[in-house]
Parts: sequence; structure tokens; C-alpha cells
Amino acid sequence: MRNAKPEMRVIFIIILILFFAFLIAPLLVLFFRSFVTDDGGAGFSNYMEALSNNTLISAIGNSIKVSGATAIITTMLAFTLAYAVNFTRIYQPLKSAVKVGILIPMLIPTITYGFAIMYTFGNQGLLTKLFGRNLFEIYGFNGLLIGYVIYTLPAAFLLIHNSFKYIDKKFIIVSKLMGDRTLRSFLNTVVRPLLGALGGAFVLSFILSFTDFGIPASVGGTYDVVATQLYQAMLGSIPDFSQGAVIAVMMLFPAVAGVILLNYLERFNFHYDKFSETELTPSKFRDSFFGVTSAVVLLAMLSVFVVMFIAPFVTAFPYDLSFTWQHITGIFQSNDLVSVYRNSLIVAVLTAVLGTIITYGSALLNARTPIKGKQTVDIFSMITNTVPGMVLGLSYLLLFNDSSLKGTFIIIVLCNIMHYFTTPYLMAKNALTKMNPDWETSGELLGDNWIKTVYRVILPNSVSTVLEMFSYYFINAMVTISGVIFLVSAQTTVVASKINELQHFAKFNEIFVLSVLIFLTNLLVRAVCDALQKRAAIYKK
Amino acid sequence: MLELQNISKQFDQKVVLENIDLKINSGEIVSLLGPSGSGKTTLLNIILGLTRIDQGKVIFNNEDLSNVDMKNRGFNIVFQDYALFPHLNAYENIVYGLRNKKDTASAEEVREYIEFLELKPHLKKRIGELSGGQKQRVALARTLVTKPKLLLLDEPLSALDGVIKESIKERIKSIAKEFNLTTIIVTHDPEEALTISDKILIINQGNISQFGTPFEIINQPKNDFVKEFILRQLQIKRQNIYNLFGEKYA
Ligand SMILES: Nc1ncnc2c1ncn2[C@@H]1O[C@H](COP(=O)(O)OP(=O)(O)OP(=O)(O)O)[C@@H](O)[C@H]1O
Ligand SMILES: [Mg+2]
Repeated sequence: MRNAKPEMRVIFIIILILFFAFLIAPLLVLFFRSFVTDDGGAGFSNYMEALSNNTLISAIGNSIKVSGATAIITTMLAFTLAYAVNFTRIYQPLKSAVKVGILIPMLIPTITYGFAIMYTFGNQGLLTKLFGRNLFEIYGFNGLLIGYVIYTLPAAFLLIHNSFKYIDKKFIIVSKLMGDRTLRSFLNTVVRPLLGALGGAFVLSFILSFTDFGIPASVGGTYDVVATQLYQAMLGSIPDFSQGAVIAVMMLFPAVAGVILLNYLERFNFHYDKFSETELTPSKFRDSFFGVTSAVVLLAMLSVFVVMFIAPFVTAFPYDLSFTWQHITGIFQSNDLVSVYRNSLIVAVLTAVLGTIITYGSALLNARTPIKGKQTVDIFSMITNTVPGMVLGLSYLLLFNDSSLKGTFIIIVLCNIMHYFTTPYLMAKNALTKMNPDWETSGELLGDNWIKTVYRVILPNSVSTVLEMFSYYFINAMVTISGVIFLVSAQTTVVASKINELQHFAKFNEIFVLSVLIFLTNLLVRAVCDALQKRAAIYKK
Repeated sequence: MLELQNISKQFDQKVVLENIDLKINSGEIVSLLGPSGSGKTTLLNIILGLTRIDQGKVIFNNEDLSNVDMKNRGFNIVFQDYALFPHLNAYENIVYGLRNKKDTASAEEVREYIEFLELKPHLKKRIGELSGGQKQRVALARTLVTKPKLLLLDEPLSALDGVIKESIKERIKSIAKEFNLTTIIVTHDPEEALTISDKILIINQGNISQFGTPFEIINQPKNDFVKEFILRQLQIKRQNIYNLFGEKYA
């Protein structure tokens, strides 16, 4: 249609350069590095070596096993909770509690989950104390499973919960009127339309567990998984870059397959245009069953985190439970820990600000300009969606190790921006596509240039989305460990990677206090964004 | 005077407009009438400068505008769904353009437009709180404030219902008279076209089927398309109305 304006071209070129330098190039380097042999030639010897490494093979097997088990459990739990929220008449406040409570783990680094699990189920754990004995061995499979389920439940729940909105509740009534029995009715009207989402939740949980580093770093014990193997290859006693590259490529495979599978499953999703509001039929049995179940799941999940808030405030958990400020004040007197927290804040703020600008700009070009080649942004978004944080971090390490970017905040920030690009990009694209396509023309006819219309019209009409993007970036930058573990230096250590160090000195109070700090910071940012969003909504009405 | 000389337009090999050639006098209201997909919006966008032409010329007051940017042509449009800015209230929408060019309309003139369109009671309202007809008038005001040399309206009535439709129709007519504003209106409703305009341009499959006054169209339809498609619709309508009222008043 119309010609692209010079301003659009400039933005597009900047975005292309960013993606080539900080996504495409590092990944290519990683890929080539995996084929560079010890003598400097090219070949498959690294892969041969990896495949003959029994520890690695068994780690892959373990990863598949525990991720698979996680995916099954998470999908079932997420479905149950989403069903309770959407299709039952359980106590309304409980519904709200589920919807909010389930998201809490997203505000805490995964590495903390492990320590919370130890303090709950471990030798000196809360539950162990209560029951007087160890319920089960937590280091290894069991601990990983619990951690991964908690970690993946929020994402899986959101996915299924959103699909529930597309189910036409009238079908259920029709099916009842047709005389279907309960089970058949349930399968036809609930499970069938949700197949895509259920499959999606399974695949998503699998990939997330397969590629997470925080949980195995804390409760993995001697149970090797791919993520810990990758960490050891790179930061172990003898760093082996070639092996690291090979493991990273191997970690990338299931992720690629998973994303392809997710796209395929997308087709099974139903897309009704309008949501119909229909009264649900009352059912005492159904409601009490789902009410109790969802309350139990939610409480169980949250109870794991309770220790995190108790341990730092008592003298010596779990032996001496008298209240004390000692640990807290100790930490705030330690320059080291305060500066680590400050680092995290710097990284999160920079990631959120720059990330939101870059993602918004990309979405703007893609959704609202006629610029040629704008589809490349969609491709970048698909790639960032596929590449696990550890793989991205490692590829940065390989490419930028000898550059002046090494050990800077900016490399961590860029890694975070790329790592978490997809979700905010899709948020922005979705919001921008929905806007009236004639605004730019109207603005221009009223004397604006393009940038001015963006600033005066497009931006004010997407404030709410921008806030959403900002808080998404901020929170993820605060909690991520897998993305940055290879990139932090002594000067740029962030909280999540510091926790990984602290565990070797058994400084659990410090770990929990830092985690609580992250949690509270995230909560605050979320609350502020929510409040601003509400204001924007009123203002728009 | 607006002159279109031999305008043709293709979208990826597909011919959308062919040899459009006509003159529109100052102060005239002209309707573009044609079935869906016939190229009405495309022609409007070409005049506006939003869509480039492959062939031909757009000439306004003896000046060739074919290669002049949309912004510099001095025309303005009211889009079918108005494209009002929802984060601003009605008044802020109306004066949006004045931030860029302060001298286009004085405060006095803005007040006149507002009075004329009877928008005074609605100025503080958000766009979401306005009815369809009020939105239409706000969009008209926002456009008129820029003092366009040519006013383009894409399906201005299609989103409105019955009575409001008639009142907006009158309003558009009186704007054209009052400000001696050449106005081009896109529509696919023959009745609308014939009752609002001085001249009607009937387009079919990218070609001019007939260009003339309502009287000429009704009394001297040039071809089967005009007869079958345009007049037939009106006859059916007349018959329906006749049936309704005929029975009652027989
Ligand atoms: N940007 C474009 N790219 C390709 N084809 C287009 C484009 N814009 C319009 N067309 C095609 O040109 C033809 C005429 O479109 P146009 O929008 O001008 O029709 P119209 O008369 O306004 O129809 P309607 O009454 O449905 O609005 C249609 O076949 C349409 O598909
Ligand atoms: Mg049209």
C-alpha cells in the first residue's frame, strides 16, 4: 500500500542489527563450535565423545524421565484447577485465590524452590518435623519433580485457563438435553475442545523442566540432568567449551521439537468469536470435590514457600524458633549482599525499559507499517521462543568472551531481552493489530509525522499493554538464573546467581532473605503496574 | 475543480480501476456508487493520496497532484469507522490537528463548527460514550477544522440507523453548501446516492458505468448494469413501500 517512512526504516535497521548481533550470530557460533574438534578441524568427534559419555547419556535419560513425569502431573493439576475456576460454582473467593495464588511461584527464582523444598521435606524440614520422619528422599528425582511441578504449574494453568474461555458452555447443556451420560458429556464438551491446550500444557511443562537450571542446581543432588551437565562442562573444574556447545545443541533439540509440536497443537484449539455467558448447573458433589481439591493443591504449593518467610526470622530453624531480626539486619549490613540486590535491580530495570522499547518497536513495525521484510521479526520471535536461556547464555559466552562486553551489565540485559522477547512481543502485536488501522492516516492528515502519531495516539492507547510488557520483563529478569548463569562476573552478580554460590557455604538464611527481597520487589512492581493499568482503563472509558 | 485523467490501478496483476476519467466542479457533492469490490474505496484513497496510481493524473484546480504526498494535497477524509482517538474526549479529538498547525482555524471558527454540528453538549465525553451519529459528527468536525479543500467520506451512513441517517445526510448537504466544499461520498446504497448528491459516479468492476445527475441516472440509464442493478433495487424498494402504505391507505 503506502511507502515506508524513513523513521520506520531506521527503527527496522536498528532492530535487525540487534537481532543479528545478539541472537543469530551467537547461535551460529554455538552451532559451529560444536563441530570444532580438539585439533582445530571440523567434524563430529565432539558428538561422538558426548554419546560415549555415560554420565551424559544417563543425564539425558533422567531429564526425559523427570520432565515427562512433571508434564503429566502438571497438566492434570492445571486442568483440575482451571476446571474448578471455570466450570464449577465453588466459593467465589476460592476461585480468586486460585487465580492469584497460582501465579506466586512466578515471582520467585526457581533456585529458591529447591531450598524451600529442602526446608519443608528435608531432614530438618517443616513437614519432617511434623511427621517425625522423612517422608521420602528429596534430593534427586522427588525433589526435582516437586520443584518442576511448582515451576510449570502457573504457565500450564494460564494456558488451559485461557482455552476454557473458548469452550461454549451451551454445548454442555445441549449434550445434557441429548441425554449424554456424565462421562460422555464431559469428554465431548470439555476434554475434546481442550485437547490442543492440554497437549500444549504438557509440551510446555516438559520443555520448561527440561531446560531449567535453578531447580536441579539446588535439589538435584547426585541425580544428573542435562542442565547440570551443561553447567559442569562450562564452569566445572576443567571447562570444556566443545562439550558445552554439544550439550547446548542437544538441549536445543527437544526445545525445537516442542515448539513445532506446540504450533501443531494450536490447530486443535477452538476459536469462537464470542464468549457466551451461560449459567452453570448446580452440583453439590462436583463443587465440593473441586473446591476441596483446588484448595489442597493451592495450599500444598504455597506451603512449600512458607519456610522462606519463616526461616530468616527465627534464631536457628528448625531448632530454635524464637523470633529475631538478627539475620535480616546482618544481611543489610553486608555490603556484598546489598550490592548483589542492587545489581539485580539495575539489570531488571534496564531489561524492562530497553526490552519494552525494543519489543514495542518490533511489534509496531510488524503490525502497523508497510515496511518490506517486516515478517523477519516474527521469525526472530519464534527463535527466541525456542532457545532455552542456558543455551542463549552459553552462546553469548562463546561469542563475547573476548570482547569488552564480557562481564558487563549490558550483556546480561541483552541476553534477558532476547530470552524473554516472545511473550511481550506477542502482547504488543496483539494489542496493536486490534487498533483502528486508519489512525496513522488520520494523524498524518491532521499534520502529524509518523513518530508524532505513535507518541500522541498509538502509545496512549496501549498504555495497559506497555505496563504488562514492562512487568513481564522486570519480573523475569529478577528471577532468571538459567539465562545469566554463564554471563555474570564478580561485579555483576545478580541475586539468583548469588544464591547458587551461597548454597556451597550453606548460607540458607541469606538465600531466603534474598529470595524474599526478590519476591517483594516483584510483588511491588506488579502491584504498581496493576494500579496504573486500572487508572489507564478508567481514563480510557 | 477536481479532474481525474485516465486513472488505472492494479493490485498484484489484478486490475481494480481502469480508465477513470471525469471532472467534478467546486462545491459539488458526488457519490461513488457500486457493488462490493468494485473499487470505490480504492478510488477514494487514490484521490486522498493514500494509494499510488499506476497510470493517469489527479488534477486539482489545474495543479497536477499525482505525485504530491497525501499530507500536502490539502484534502481530508472521514473514515467509515471514524478512526477517532479513544483516549481523548470529543473536544480534544476535534482540535487534535491544531496542535500541529495553529493558524488553520481560529478559536472562533472552531466554536462555529461545533455549534453547526450541535456538538456542544458532548464535548467533554469520551469517544466510547458517544452514539454512532455523535461520533460521525465529531469526526466531521475534526476533519473540517483542518479546512480541507476537498472532503472525502467513506460510507458515512452505513453504520447509522434510520432516523439519524437522514439527519446526517442533511447535515452533509448543508456543510457542502455552507462552506462551498467539494465532497465525495462512497456508498453502495442507490437511494442514499441519489438523494444526497449533485452527481453520481457508478462504478462496476473498476470501470465507470455512468456519471451523471440523479435525474439522468433515473431517466437515461446508460446500460444494463445501471438498469438491472441500480434502478431495480429502487423499484423493489418502492414496491415494498407502496405495498405497506398502499394497503393501509387504499
Ligand atoms: N491493498 C490491496 N491489495 C490487494 N488488493 C486490494 C487491496 N485493496 C483493495 N484490493 C482489491 O481491490 C478491489 C476493490 O477494492 P475496494 O476496497 O476499492 O472495493 P469497494 O468498492 O470499496 O468495496 P466495498 O463496498 O466492499 O468496500 C477488491 O477486489 C479488493 O480485493
Ligand atoms: Mg470500500
